[in-house]
This record gives sequence, structure tokens and C-alpha cells, in this order.
Amino acid sequence: MSPRISLPPIRRERLEGGLSVIVAERAGVPLASARLVLPGGASLDPSRRSGLAHLAANAARRGTRRRTGAAIDLLIESLGAELGAGVDEDASFFGLSAPAEALARCMDVLAEVVTAPTFPAREVDRLRRREVAALAHDLDEPAVVADRAVLAAAYGEHPYARSPEGLVADLTAARRGDVAAFHARHYRPQDAFLVVVGAVQAEEVLALARRRLRAWRGAEGPQAPLPAPPPPRPAVLVVDKPDVTQAQIRIASAGFPRRSPDYFPGIVASAVLGGGFTSRLMEAIRVNRGLSYGVRSRFATSGAGGIFLVSTFTKVETAAEIVQVALDETARFCEEGPGAEELERTRSYLCGLYPLSLETHDQVCEKLADLELYGLDADEVSGFAERIRAVTPEVCREVARRYFPLERRVVVAVGPARAIAKPLARFGPVRVIPARKMM
Amino acid sequence: MPRPKRAPAPALDLAGVRAHLLPNGLRVRLLPERSAATISYYTFFQVGSRNERLGTTGISHLFEHMMFNGAAKYGPKEFDRVLESRGGHSNAYTSNDVTAYYEDFAAEALETVVDLESDRMRSLRLTSDSLEQEREVVKEERRLRTENSIFGLMEEQLEALVFLAHPYRWPVIGWMEDISRITREDCEGFFRTYYAPNNAAIYAVGDLDPDATFLLLERAYGDIPAGPRVAAVPQGEPPQRGERRASVRYPAQAPALLAGWRGPPARSPDSAALDVLQACLAVGESSRLRRRLVQELELAVSISIGWGWRIDPGVFLAFAELAPRASVDRTEKVLWAELARVAERGVTAAELRRAQALLRSSVLHELATHHGVAHALGQAEALLGDWREAGRALEHYAAVGAGDVRRVAREYLDPARRCVVVLEPEGRP
Repeated sequence: MSPRISLPPIRRERLEGGLSVIVAERAGVPLASARLVLPGGASLDPSRRSGLAHLAANAARRGTRRRTGAAIDLLIESLGAELGAGVDEDASFFGLSAPAEALARCMDVLAEVVTAPTFPAREVDRLRRREVAALAHDLDEPAVVADRAVLAAAYGEHPYARSPEGLVADLTAARRGDVAAFHARHYRPQDAFLVVVGAVQAEEVLALARRRLRAWRGAEGPQAPLPAPPPPRPAVLVVDKPDVTQAQIRIASAGFPRRSPDYFPGIVASAVLGGGFTSRLMEAIRVNRGLSYGVRSRFATSGAGGIFLVSTFTKVETAAEIVQVALDETARFCEEGPGAEELERTRSYLCGLYPLSLETHDQVCEKLADLELYGLDADEVSGFAERIRAVTPEVCREVARRYFPLERRVVVAVGPARAIAKPLARFGPVRVIPARKMM
Repeated sequence: MPRPKRAPAPALDLAGVRAHLLPNGLRVRLLPERSAATISYYTFFQVGSRNERLGTTGISHLFEHMMFNGAAKYGPKEFDRVLESRGGHSNAYTSNDVTAYYEDFAAEALETVVDLESDRMRSLRLTSDSLEQEREVVKEERRLRTENSIFGLMEEQLEALVFLAHPYRWPVIGWMEDISRITREDCEGFFRTYYAPNNAAIYAVGDLDPDATFLLLERAYGDIPAGPRVAAVPQGEPPQRGERRASVRYPAQAPALLAGWRGPPARSPDSAALDVLQACLAVGESSRLRRRLVQELELAVSISIGWGWRIDPGVFLAFAELAPRASVDRTEKVLWAELARVAERGVTAAELRRAQALLRSSVLHELATHHGVAHALGQAEALLGDWREAGRALEHYAAVGAGDVRRVAREYLDPARRCVVVLEPEGRP
């Protein structure tokens, strides 16, 4: 029914300084993809310094002992490559996509950026100002505001509550010293790993990695593990944006970490409820009522925990109606579980789609990095279809009942409070906050 | 130094494409490519907002939604159900020029996909109920992408400045009022005219046998009757004699600037040179405008250039999100000065090489999947009149010289023919 899935043969090596290197040769377009991952990410941001991991990763690209930021930009781009830096709640990462023949020169730069950045004060300050200015533009995007608000509401005091891009006040207060200290403390080869995938020869990539990264040393000592987040405290939050004509809606409840045994049942259950074009939420909200252009549900899984999340939007007048429909459908699903045909269709859909997520070098590189970061085995990929097929209606219903938003849930709506706060009060006491407080 | 195992192949080897024309006018292009056991199946209809009339703007896009609501054999809600149950997924998009539908799926579902697609081309069922429901969905889409999106609001204004007479003047999604007015009869006429096989082409790329697939398609589509000839699109755009400006007042946190110029049609050899110019100006951190506006002067948080190839002369646009306290006037002056500098002095050989290297990578990325290849074939045929053009992109980019870049900058980015939309934040504390 669905094509066989396999990863290319993988070579692994641990370098002298502790960095793990993972290389996979693949046929296909003459490109290569590399990803250097430093576990921790935004969850390592100190208090009142949200956005620091993000700032550090981007600032690392702005100058090394051998090259200025401008020289790095020019070299990488002249080779037809891209070198990006990013941060999520569990990791900082540097992503490289390059023509295969340019990989060696690009990897030199990647190695310098990660191991020997100089953080020129002028560049750090400029980046910081740019990040703050970018947050102003984010504030004009209702969907971005809603995503921030639901993390904050669902995770409470836990570090996962903070957006990796940080808050204006914290970024404004951040200094070059904060950035350099973050790098010195958290960029450590013993925790980090490098994945390279593409039309390259594994042996040559390994030799290259040895030459460039063997001598890298980082701070010693254990990293404190991140505690599991507590379950969300029920809340109804209206983020006031007085002038929009459409409300962005998020509903969240407790989920599970990426390594949970509930992962595969969760994928199936959330897909039946709100994945694809034939899900229950899509049918109830879009097809039967024309309330929205889109609705989806998913488990957002991270290292220390996760949430279940429903996302949609509708005109201001129907904000409460769409929440009600979503909650009713969720309750009905928890009550009945999936039908036989529905479950079979969803499993086929998930299994059919999966190989399409592993077509390019970039996609395979990201998948290998994901497996490594969360300590998962490669047979999660080859055994994907088997595990999805093993999810029975009973297991599906059980996972839905355990996690879907029945009682303990957070409802977030971004829109004009004067129009939506009152109708939403039927879901619990409403707290209204101005949108700018989310930044 | 790591090397590719083989000498780099041409970006796209089209020697294996089988091209057919059915008696009813349907064009079929099949490319066996067995690196993965999947197939991407694209259906391009040669219709977009450029074929519309005032009063029913947005019908191409609304109609695209209607294509998922049931036909003679597969009734309402069945299209996606059947496809998903066979491990496939589907979506579609409408542009100014084309409406394209795709399915990506495991190779053994090919017959099912052909059955689904030919069923709706032959015998789509248009009901009032499904029209009313899709109308509401499309209005939500418009609220999402235009009315509550700063770029969406500005882009709508810009297109209306750049074009006075050409249908590119109105947004692909249509005016809200027109979305409300479109009738079932409008949709039926639209279907008969624009969704006939002689106005369509199919591109299937992946793990397929081209002979067996062609027979399958011939059986499935061969008896669908051809439709009428499609009316020509009005081309009477008058020349622009001076700058045109508009402002959008909106409760935003920061100003923004959108500028546009009418460019050549996609078929023009200048299109590739404008892609190179775009890369020199705003692709990557070391591009001219990023360096100047974002890094050196910190006037903008982001700057991007969009040069979208279209059948008729399209728009070359520049979009800058400004820093909250940055001056729009000053940003404009710097932007105009940078564009004038390219028009006068062109770009350096190193800038040209950098742009060509970036474009080569971007073409390789696009052609890395069955989906990307199928789309590239369809796009090339729809816009350029020949699917073979999909394999020539790198050749065209490599042929662009520094002189061409200077010439197109001078010819198209004329200050007397620019259109400017400024976002003025209102109600800021």
C-alpha cells in the first residue's frame, strides 16, 4: 500500500573532542545538506534574557577569528550555498545547504562559526536591534501572536512557555557579554552533533570533519536536565487586537514528550481529529459550516514534554461558535473513537505521506538530526508504517481521552476583545491582555 | 574534498519525457523517474484571474475550491477520502495565469488518481449548497491573506496601481463583493469553457511505465469532449507616464514600503536577466539591498524582491519592512539610489557569479522531488509555451551577462514608471 521507507546507510564517528558526526551518502541532485545541532536551545535562556540562544546563534554568524560577518556572507553565497542559524525550544542549530562540490569550503565556515565566533560588539548590537524591530512586525501578524500566546498560556512558568525569539524587554537589555557567555557555556562538542547528507562520499566528509572539528573543546561539567512541564492550568485568554476582522484561535491541552510510547497513537488520533482534508474538524468546521479556511490539530512534542494543539481562525462574529464546534467534535471523538473506515483511511494517508517527507537531502538531514537529538533509533523511520498500522481503534480512543482538551484546556483567541471576550466567557473566566504584552 | 560520485548531471534530463496530444486536445507529458516509489500528478488548466471579468473576479479561485466537491462517479466529500485511503494527498492553487491541481501518492495508486481526476474533468457536479459553503470558506481565506495581512493589503493596492486595463489589476482571490455575487450558472459556464481537455495538460513524474500510463490516460480522458476556444485576454494596458502612489493607513507597529514596475512577459529573454538582477539585489545577506538597507543603515528589518514570471507582462516588486522609527522618505531615497546605481553602472563580475550560483542551487532544489519536476514542466508549458523550457533554466541563467543585468535594470526600473505603496501606521502610541 505504501512504498518501502529506508534511510541511506549511515556512518557515525565520535571525534576526539566529543562531537558526534553522522554522515549519509545519497544519490540525487548534486547538493549536500549539513546540520550542526547543539542541544538545549531556547530552554537554556536565563531568566530575563529570553531570546538569548537565538541571538547567540545568529550573532555567531557575524564574525570569527578569521573572517568578518560580511566575508562569511559573501563566501557562502558566492558558492551558491546557504548557511542559516536557528533555535527552537530544545536546540540551537546551524543549517548548511550547498552544492556538493562546495561542501568542504562551506564546512570550514560552519566549523569556525560554531567553534570560534568573536561576537563583534557592533554586529551583536545591530542584530539585537533588528530582532527587536522584527518583533514589532510579528506583532502585526495575528497568527504569530496566537502561537506565542498559546505557548505562554499552556506552559506557564516552564521554559517552553517562552518564544525562542524572546521578548522586547529582554532583548533590549541583552549585551554582547551575555551572548559570549552563553556561547562559552553551552556550545560544547560533547553534547553536540553534526549530520551531513547528500551526493558526497562519507569517508571524505568524515575526514573533513576530523580536520576541522577534532580540536574543538567546550566547557566541562554536566548540563542541568530540563524538568517536565506541569499540565496547563485551564484558562481562556483573549489577546486584544482591536482592528482585525478575523480571530485566530488556539486550543491546547497537555501532551507528551517526543520519546513517549504515545507518540505513534498520538499521530494517528490527532490526524483523525484534525489532520488532512477529511479530518473530523475539517469536515465540521470547513466543509459543513464554512466557518474557516483551515483547521488542524497536532501533538507538539519536545524533549521534556509537549502539548496537544488545535489551530484555526474565523471571522470575529463566529469566534465562539468555532471553539464550540471544535470542542464538541473533540468530545464526540473521545466518546466514540474512530470508525473502522476512518481509521484505515487515516493510517493509509499517514503511511503514504511519510516517504514524501524524506525525499530531499535537507529532509533526510533534518530527520537524522531529529532522531539523534531525541535519542531515537533509525528504525523509527523504517518501521513507521508498521507502527502506524499497529494503532487500533481502542488505542486511538484511549490516547484521545488522555490528552485531548476535555476538561483541562487553554483557549486562546486573538481578536477585538470588545467583540469576542463576552461570547468566549462560556468556556471559562476570560482574561484579556493587550497584544503588545505578548512581545 | 568531497566530490559528487558522478559528474554533475544537467539539472533536469528531459530525454525520457513522453509527450502526447489526445484528439480532444488534452496534452499529456509523462516522465518515468524511479528514485522513489512515488508519483506526482499535476493537472494544469490554462485559466487564472487574467481570464476573469469585473463583477465575477475571483471565480477562478472559487472554482478551484468547487473541484473538490463531487462529480458523477465520486460524489461529495469522496475525492479526498478515496485519495487519502490510498495513501495520497492533494491540493491546488490558482494564480493570475493558471489553476493547477496535484496529487502526490504511492505509485500503485495511479489508476485511482486517474479515475478521480478524469471523473471531475468529465462530470463535475456543481450544487448551490456546496457553492454557498465554499463561498464562506473563500471569504475566510481572503480575510486571512488580505484583509488581516499587511503585505496582502499592500499588494492588492500595488497591482491596482501597476495595471489600469489588464485583468492583473484585481487580486487572484477576487474582490469580497464579487466573491458574494458569483452564481452557480457563472460556475457552470466557467467549467464548460476553461476546464475542457483542450485547455488542460497533465504531467506525471515518478515510478511509472510511460506506455501503460498513456493507455490508462487515453481510456480515462479520451471521451471527454473538447470545449470552445478560450477568449483572448485584453492587452490594452496604456503606457505609464509618471510615478503612481497609494498609501494604506492601518494600525501597524511599523511602516512598510512596496514598490513595483511592469516587467516583460515570461517568454521574454529578459525574464532570466531579471531573476539575476533580483538575486543581486535582494537574495542573501550579501545582496546589495540587504547590505545597504538592513545592515548598514538599519532602515529595514527585511527587504525582498519578487519577480514573478507571468504570461502577460508581470510585476517586478520590492518590499521592505521598516524599523519602527525609520523614515519612509529616507528609505525610499536609498532604495531609488541603489536601483539607479545598478541601472547606470551594472553589477560586478563577482556579483553576477554569486547570483548565478544561487540561482543554480535554487533550480536544483526545485528539481529534487517528483513534485518539483512535475510542477516545473507544467509551469514552463503554461507560461512559456513549452515544457522543455523546464530543463533550460540553468542555460538561460548562465547566458545572462553583466550588461544584460544593467540593461534590464535601466529598461524596467524606470523611476517614471514605478508604483509605490506606503503603509502608514495609525494610532501608534
